[in-house]
Order: sequence, then C-alpha cells, then structure tokens
Amino acid sequence: MAAAVLWWTLRAARQVLPSPCPRQVRSYYVDWRMLRDVKRRKMAYEHADERLRINAIRKNSILPKELQEVADKEIAALPRDSCPVRIRNRCVLTSRPRGVKRRWRLSRIVFRHFADHAQMSGVQRAMW
Amino acid sequence: MVSQPFSRVKRFIFDIKQELFSTSSVLSTDKDKSAASKESTTEGASKRQEGRAETPKQHLLDIIGNMKVELSYRKKLQQLKANENTKQAMNELEGKPLNPELVKAASAVASSLPRNKKQTESELLAQLRRHEETTDKQKKGGAINIRSVNVILEMTVKRQSPAQRGARISSGISLQLDEDGRRIRPERSSAQSIDSRRYFLRSLWMLTDCYKISFSVSPPTIWDLEFAKEVAAVTAQPPRNGFEEMIQWTKEGILWEFPVDNEVGMEDDAEFHEHIFLEKHLEAFPKEGPIRHFMELVICGLSKNPYLSVKQKVEHIEWFQKYFEEKKELLQEI
Repeated sequence: MAAAVLWWTLRAARQVLPSPCPRQVRSYYVDWRMLRDVKRRKMAYEHADERLRINAIRKNSILPKELQEVADKEIAALPRDSCPVRIRNRCVLTSRPRGVKRRWRLSRIVFRHFADHAQMSGVQRAMW
Repeated sequence: MVSQPFSRVKRFIFDIKQELFSTSSVLSTDKDKSAASKESTTEGASKRQEGRAETPKQHLLDIIGNMKVELSYRKKLQQLKANENTKQAMNELEGKPLNPELVKAASAVASSLPRNKKQTESELLAQLRRHEETTDKQKKGGAINIRSVNVILEMTVKRQSPAQRGARISSGISLQLDEDGRRIRPERSSAQSIDSRRYFLRSLWMLTDCYKISFSVSPPTIWDLEFAKEVAAVTAQPPRNGFEEMIQWTKEGILWEFPVDNEVGMEDDAEFHEHIFLEKHLEAFPKEGPIRHFMELVICGLSKNPYLSVKQKVEHIEWFQKYFEEKKELLQEI
C-alpha cells in the first residue's frame, strides 16, 4: 500500500516537474552557412578513412600508373562535401568566417567582448 | 565535438605520409642497452688519465678525488651486480606469468645478437616485466579511480525526505494562488535548510540499505534500476551552487572527469606485439611485386601509429585487400 502510494507520487511528480534544472538549450544554428559547414564536417568524418586510403594509393611511386589513374577517378567520384578542404573554421557563436582564433573557436569580436567582461579564464589585456 | 574529426583526419594524413616516405629500425634499442654497461667503465678510465696530466698539487687532489669517484663507481657496480643477481633470482622464483611466447621470443632475440647472450636476455625479460607492471598499475589505478568516483556520485542522495517531498508534490499539483505559493515557498525553504541535514543522512542510509538488500539477493534487475532512476529524477533539485552544477554536468557527460584521463574512450586491451607485428594480416596478398611492397610500407606506418586501435588497423588492411581484389582484372592486364 505504501509502496503503491510512493509510486503514484513519483509518477505525478515527474509530470509536474519535468526538468527542474533550467538549462540553455541551443536548438538552432546561427545561420544557414553554419549549418552547411556542420554538414560538411559530418560528411568529411564519414569519408575520412576512404579518402585516406585512396590517396595512399594515388600518392605512390611503387604502384602502376594505371591503378593510380583509376584511384584518381574514384576519389573524384566521392561527394564533393566529403573533402576536408571545404571545412571553414567559423566562429562558434556568430558564424563569422574570418578573424577566428583556433584555440577558442571564437571570432575576434566575441573574444574581445568576453575577455573584457572577465569571462575568459586566464585571458588578460596585454601590457608591456 | 564537430571539429574533433577534422583533427583526427589531419593526424591520419600526417601518419600515412610518414609511413609512405620513411623506414624503420627495430633492433637498435637492444644493442644500446648492452653497450651502456661498457660505456660507464670507459668513463672511469678516462677520468683517471686526465688527473695525471696536471701539476703535482692538483695531481694529488685529483687522485684523491678520482679515488673517491673510483670507490663510488665500484660500489655502484657491485650494487648493480647484486641487484641483477637478486633480480635474476626473483625472475626465476616469481610465479607471475609472463606470456611464455614472449619469453621464448626474448630468448630467441638474445641468442641472435652477437654479444653477451645471458645479460641481454635478462635485461629483455626485466623490460617486459616492467612493461607489464606499468600496464597493470594503469589499468587497476584507472579502474579504481573511476569506480570510486562513480560510486560517490551515485550515492549522494539530494536532499528531501519522503514527507517533505510528498507535501511539495501535493502543493504543486493543487492549484494555488500566488500569495499562498509565495507564503509556502519561503517556509519550506527554511524548513528544508533546518531539517534537510537530518533527513539527508537518513535518506542516504535508507537507500544504501535498500540497495544492499537487493544486491545481496540477486544481480540488480531492470525494475530496481528503473526505481533507482525514478528516485534520482524526483529527488534531483536544481543545483544550489556551482559545485553541484559541475557535478551534474560531469554525470551527464558534458564535463570531463578531473584529473583528465586521456584514455577515456579507448579501451585497447591488445598487447604491444599485436600493434607492431602486423605481417600475419598480409597472408592474403601476393608475395612479390609492387603490391606487396606497398602493403609492407602500409604496415610499417600502421605499426608506428599509436593513435589507432588494432581493430582499426586491421580494417585498413582489409579494405586494401578488397580493393586490390576488385582491381585484379585490371592488374592482370598490366
């Protein structure tokens, strides 16, 4: 009886208080270009092994050239978004394609904003 | 993270380039070890010779100094010899199972080298032993740390007693006016802060007792796990401070566990020889010709790659096998 009551209260509680901790959930990318960049990264990850192996066959002085030409055609036939060269390191918060510092993945403007508000750990204004 | 695969790809490319354009030397390390013992004796001899070349006073002082050095060297050598003897005795007496294949391989290598076979063999065995000890320590230590942390995280029951929980839930369900809500909430918070400490320990012990009982009977059933999850979900309050927030994030996997464990995702239980000696996978390939040459280079590079697991390396080799089989007709035309 007590156990049943406990179960019921637990169930009810779960419906009323679904997630007691407020969390900022990012459900949209900043813009469409960022979304396309994300898609390119995923494709590059999927095809990374294949590309590596086909390139190993191509950039070779031992294997016959006919084989290398066939490999050339194969790698050209892979989807265009699967090559890592097309990835652009955009700013994570503003999707700015230029002026992005790699260590923080932020554009220079956002970096400066956070650093001035003392929200970047260990970053200080330079003075010498 | 999204950019992790990109760095992984770059490392791949770097490694495969290295494998294609470099060669390796395997046995140099063994020769260095046997040469090291000889070098120490030659150093002592050279110091003695330098002392005689200077003025008499300095000459005397140098001789005294060198005598001290000689004595210390002698003591060190004696100690080394004693240690080696004890180590050899230990090696024979210890029952700890060194892989017999490895022991055979070590003796074969020692016999193939030209100098001082017994010494090299004992040194190789000592190296193997040390390697195994370090791997065991890492495995045990890492496992214990993670387990203890997880136990602590799971067992901290957050704050409410069943009675208070029931009251709060009932208040939440029934529709109340703002004034009532405002009145009741500060009351409850003060009551919580006073009584919660009492109930915290009690609820913690209650839960541990429940689970001890259930675990002693049988392995935890799905219903027990579900119950545990429900209890945790209901009793989970919003974090009171930054520390609790970080604890929650660590549980969810957003934050890493500190001190950082570099091998969190990787669980490579393969021995070092499975990583390095990959020639057994090359049996399906023709024994001569450019393809064999190419695959040997591939294997050389893979053996030097510490970032891949054995499974991934084998997958690489199998892909090449499939590829060359598909292109067999083309190759035979050439």
